[in-house]
Amino acid sequence: MSEAGAIPAVRSTQDELYSEAASSYGPALERLAHAYEADPDLRRDLLQEIHIALWRSFEGFNGRCSMRTWAYRVAHNAATSHVIRQRRAKGQGLVGLEELENLQDVSSGRDADRNRSLARLMDLIQRLKPLDRQVILSYLEGLDAASIGDITGLSPGNVATKVHRIKSILARRFNAGGNDNE
Amino acid sequence: MNDSPKSPMQEIWQCQPVEGLKMSVEEIHHRAEKFEKKIMWRNVREHLSGLVAAVLFGSFFVKSHDPLFRTACGLLIAGLAYVAWQLYRKGSSRNLPEHLGSESSLQFYRKQLEQQRDLAASVWSWYLAPLVPGLVLFAVSSALADPRPRKLAALALYYGFCVALFIFIRQLHTRGARCLQRLIDELYAAERPSSQEL
Repeated sequence: MSEAGAIPAVRSTQDELYSEAASSYGPALERLAHAYEADPDLRRDLLQEIHIALWRSFEGFNGRCSMRTWAYRVAHNAATSHVIRQRRAKGQGLVGLEELENLQDVSSGRDADRNRSLARLMDLIQRLKPLDRQVILSYLEGLDAASIGDITGLSPGNVATKVHRIKSILARRFNAGGNDNE
Repeated sequence: MNDSPKSPMQEIWQCQPVEGLKMSVEEIHHRAEKFEKKIMWRNVREHLSGLVAAVLFGSFFVKSHDPLFRTACGLLIAGLAYVAWQLYRKGSSRNLPEHLGSESSLQFYRKQLEQQRDLAASVWSWYLAPLVPGLVLFAVSSALADPRPRKLAALALYYGFCVALFIFIRQLHTRGARCLQRLIDELYAAERPSSQEL
């Protein structure tokens, strides 16, 4: 019998792993929740759901991938579930990067205002299908192609193709994303 | 992490203001418990309409003395219970799975879509068919109770509408399943190495 108030070893490790992940990737998770949900109240719920999912997931953390990959996978998967639920409720249509490349952007052109650029970027991301959304978010977070592949499960060739498309879309729409430095 | 310099859009993205949500471990435990309860109530709400219908048929069952009518009520209650059980078992809105981190986003998304496709494709067997015996017996008992032509015509009209509705629901779901299959095929293709990689 354990002492009153004592925390079982598994729970303690789970708690420690969660604390570490939350302090390292907390801001990235918040940006991710913002990219998946435009409504502030629903976003708060989603962020909370992501944190709970992250904490619960560490019960089965096997160390086969890095904590960063694990945390991003959990967050994207929880957020994807949210998108599927919301899309079913609202009947929203989502587009892929290929379709986005061919769509005309009515407000394109150089945009000096960072807030406006961010708002437009957010709007663009929220229209994307889950997988394309995951790739663009990982790219914007500065992850390399191998990490994006680990998180999403896409083959390296497909990651490269999608990242190339993303850069071209960002360059065209914001005159800013075409920094071909990878 | 990528060591190459950030592009301007990456800079804008990473420097956006965030609220800085911080939850202590105790708070996470507490919220996880609250969240489980919230999910439970959401599931209860989803099954509420079925429960109301079951209570209604239950009251008919108790009040009626016609054995055929009572059997029809019993079959409908059993059908509704089966549908509710299937909804719960297939987990249309249950809690998030615990293995979220061990699956890539693509695998996870594909499994979710496959689950939805299977639900949509088999809507006849788990959602519509279980209600058919009760509805048919209802029609028979109503026709036997009042066989006047006008009543029979009204009954035929009503059940004709029911049949049309069932066919519509089935076709809608079959089309939905086909759309989901296209998305699933796209995801399988994205997982495979591209022709340039081979």
